[in-house]
Amino acid sequence: MSSHATNLNLDLQRHTLDNGLQVVLHRDASLPLVAVNLWYHVGSKNERPGRTGFAHLFEHMLFQGSANVGTNEHFRYIQQVGGVANGSTWYDRTNYYETVPAHHLDLALWLESDRMGFFLPALTQENLDTQRGVVMNERRQRVENQPYGGAGERINDLLYPPSHPYHWPVIGYMEDIAAATLEDARAFFSSYYTPNNAVLSVVGDIQPEDALERIEAWFGEIPPGPPLAPVVPVSTPLGGERRGMIPDDVSLPRVYIAFRAPAYGQRDWYTADLLAAVLAGGKSSPLYRDLVYGRQIAQDVGASIGPQECGGTFMLVATARPGVSAAALEEALLGHLAAAAAAPPDPADLERARNRMLTDYYSSLQRLDTLADLFSQFATYFDDPAAGLAEADRYLDVAPRELMEYAASWCTEPERVVVSVVPRKAS
Amino acid sequence: MATERPRVDRSVSPPPREIRPFQFPPFLRTRLPNGLAVIAARLPNLPLVSLELIAPAGAQYDPAERPGIATLTSSVLDEGTALRSSLEVAALAERLGGYFTTGADWDVGYLTTGLLSSHRREGLELLAEVLTAPTFPVEEIDRLRRQRISEILRRRQDPSALADERFQREVFRGTAYAESIQGTEESLSRLDRDALLDFYRSHYGFAGSTLIAVGDFDPEELLRETEAVFGAASSPGSVTARPEIHPTPPRGVSVHLVDRPGAAQTELRLGHVGVPRSDPDYVPLLVLNTLLGGKFTSRINLNLRERHGYTYGASSRFSTRQGPGPFTVTAAVETSAAAASTREVLHELRRVREALVEPEELEETVGYIVGVFPYSLQTVGDVGRRLEILAVFDLPDDYYTHYLRKIAAVTREEILEAARRHLDPERIVVVAVGPAEILEPQFEGVGPVTVWSPEGEPRAAQPLRST
Repeated sequence: MSSHATNLNLDLQRHTLDNGLQVVLHRDASLPLVAVNLWYHVGSKNERPGRTGFAHLFEHMLFQGSANVGTNEHFRYIQQVGGVANGSTWYDRTNYYETVPAHHLDLALWLESDRMGFFLPALTQENLDTQRGVVMNERRQRVENQPYGGAGERINDLLYPPSHPYHWPVIGYMEDIAAATLEDARAFFSSYYTPNNAVLSVVGDIQPEDALERIEAWFGEIPPGPPLAPVVPVSTPLGGERRGMIPDDVSLPRVYIAFRAPAYGQRDWYTADLLAAVLAGGKSSPLYRDLVYGRQIAQDVGASIGPQECGGTFMLVATARPGVSAAALEEALLGHLAAAAAAPPDPADLERARNRMLTDYYSSLQRLDTLADLFSQFATYFDDPAAGLAEADRYLDVAPRELMEYAASWCTEPERVVVSVVPRKAS
Repeated sequence: MATERPRVDRSVSPPPREIRPFQFPPFLRTRLPNGLAVIAARLPNLPLVSLELIAPAGAQYDPAERPGIATLTSSVLDEGTALRSSLEVAALAERLGGYFTTGADWDVGYLTTGLLSSHRREGLELLAEVLTAPTFPVEEIDRLRRQRISEILRRRQDPSALADERFQREVFRGTAYAESIQGTEESLSRLDRDALLDFYRSHYGFAGSTLIAVGDFDPEELLRETEAVFGAASSPGSVTARPEIHPTPPRGVSVHLVDRPGAAQTELRLGHVGVPRSDPDYVPLLVLNTLLGGKFTSRINLNLRERHGYTYGASSRFSTRQGPGPFTVTAAVETSAAAASTREVLHELRRVREALVEPEELEETVGYIVGVFPYSLQTVGDVGRRLEILAVFDLPDDYYTHYLRKIAAVTREEILEAARRHLDPERIVVVAVGPAEILEPQFEGVGPVTVWSPEGEPRAAQPLRST
């Protein structure tokens, strides 16, 4: 495996409009398409207790029209020309994006600029009521009516103190979604959905100078909003293991072991991500080999770390085979963590994990929307959109002993959260 | 930044600029002397390759007494070869920077690998090895069987899986499509090594199989490599004739409730038998379904989600298979609105059969299907899937040359005719997975109701209350 395989030399252009909107442009004419991707640096971490779920509710509201775009017309305009549009909300940010045939670039810019600059006139109680209903059903579908659906919330609940913004779920609590008012919505929009709190990436079959002119035309007149101070959450060490047990309508127990982890972008974040891939990525990984294949006590295994701006969550998970207890599974997972903290990984496991990550990385870059999203992400978090293209190198830089050191220093017993989901009848 | 800003008119949607035409990527399609068909396309953007082998070995071939044999056979293929153990196969694929998966859908069995293009030759060799020299080790079969039985247990608590299973059982009663593609606890226990070997030998011959390769390579060179690698191997077996699947349509509307007391939401499925992919109405049906439930701005989603707020999303589809796949409407809805949602869906099905669709609606739908086509061809996997369709459904080489033109030519009248021929809201299966106690009274008047347990047992008739 060559360690120089990762240099992608893509030509990027960066600009900042007078109102503070950051613009990233990249020409790729392999298909007659253009991806327009807008990141607002606002997520659930900008909410407050009692009003959780707002950033996500907003993602729905922003598809309900603006001064010049009728209710539900956003999707209609995009879909009738063969475009694809959506948005997503995360702890730290919200993104809105559309990929359209390249000759419809203006359409996408019109829609995005209209809701950034002229949204409030279209914000009505009726739209808010409908979308609250939709979001409550989304929550039921993803959380309440989903086997094991409550585990994610319980983990963050235990891992972060109530004042920490990762304590509450991105989708929000049901009662908070129900309580959202029009006033709250107006104030939230005016604070955060401003050009100076956003990055716009346009990637595809464009001429960059022309695209910049069109962006200036559509977005330039939108006034900047108030300056925003970054959210800097404070959390002291847990200082002792925390445990949760959720009786659920399931037949197979599942165990989650979670730890706080470094913030996305830090060297150790990549170490943790690589450790996750070494431990449980693919059928020949040690966790799979031992728990699923060898001892056959697990139905499936997994390890992951989320890309969070203020500190991630490193997690192992396994679902039991029938007749295997949550306790037995927990012991097995902890055994693998202890081994990872005691010695560097087998070189074969490390090579396998690195190669897989490289393939996954290239695979994701095949899509214009992913590429645009990557640029927006790196511009938003690190003020450096091109750094996303060197991300694969960050994994190659990690030395084997760093994986061991990471496990030893971050995955310790007093900082551990263990959540098990167990069959209701047996509890 | 420039101080003079070009003026824009926000009051109307901006006009498009000049369109740049799109062409489906060129590909090579041929057959090797040993019978193996090959389709190869070059996509040079990134150093990636996707390789897939498909064989006529899907679950439609499952004998009545052996549901699950097609998918179990496919998943044991890569669990040991004449040269390597199960873990060695996985370790090799992962070292090449890729994944290696095997499986089966209703039509075909497949072996897929995606890797860095520098490892293309090794990928081909591994595919050939797994296809022609699997050893079906007994201990691996036992392990996978146990894993699958656990999975069946797990699905009993998954409302979406329960809905799908009950729906297909009711719609396809008495045919192979009625059975779970994964098999049942009972059928799996009967699938031993001999049974799997038998299935393998009669379905994985070169003669019926196709290799589909997409990525950063010269297709002619790939063809030479394929000949070298597969020419040296001997074909594992023969080809079996495609089974006929003829479900009997039900009478009237029937309602099937799968009881999950206390569930927070209700999973709904509505539908009936659809058409085989080869049906001459395929193109008008694709347009019809997109308009009805195949995009965000479809009639069904706008009704259930945006007008009523009953759901996070509702959609419909005609599943394309070699046999007549189902037409299905899918939604997870608020339990209190389950029957109301059902009535709205039935209303939409009746409406689209009664009157011509609006001209703008048709124009928007055609615009969507035509415009989104290049978007659906961005990755090596995307292009591979489109090429696979040619092979699975015996479509001609120039199919994608005419595809968009055919979509654009569909008329409102053709859509109405297709709706009248292929949608039938008066003979439909409704499945609702949720708390039966709340659902049962709601569905009074919709159709006869049967209540099922998650394990698939019909609930005994309730005693008549005297006094």
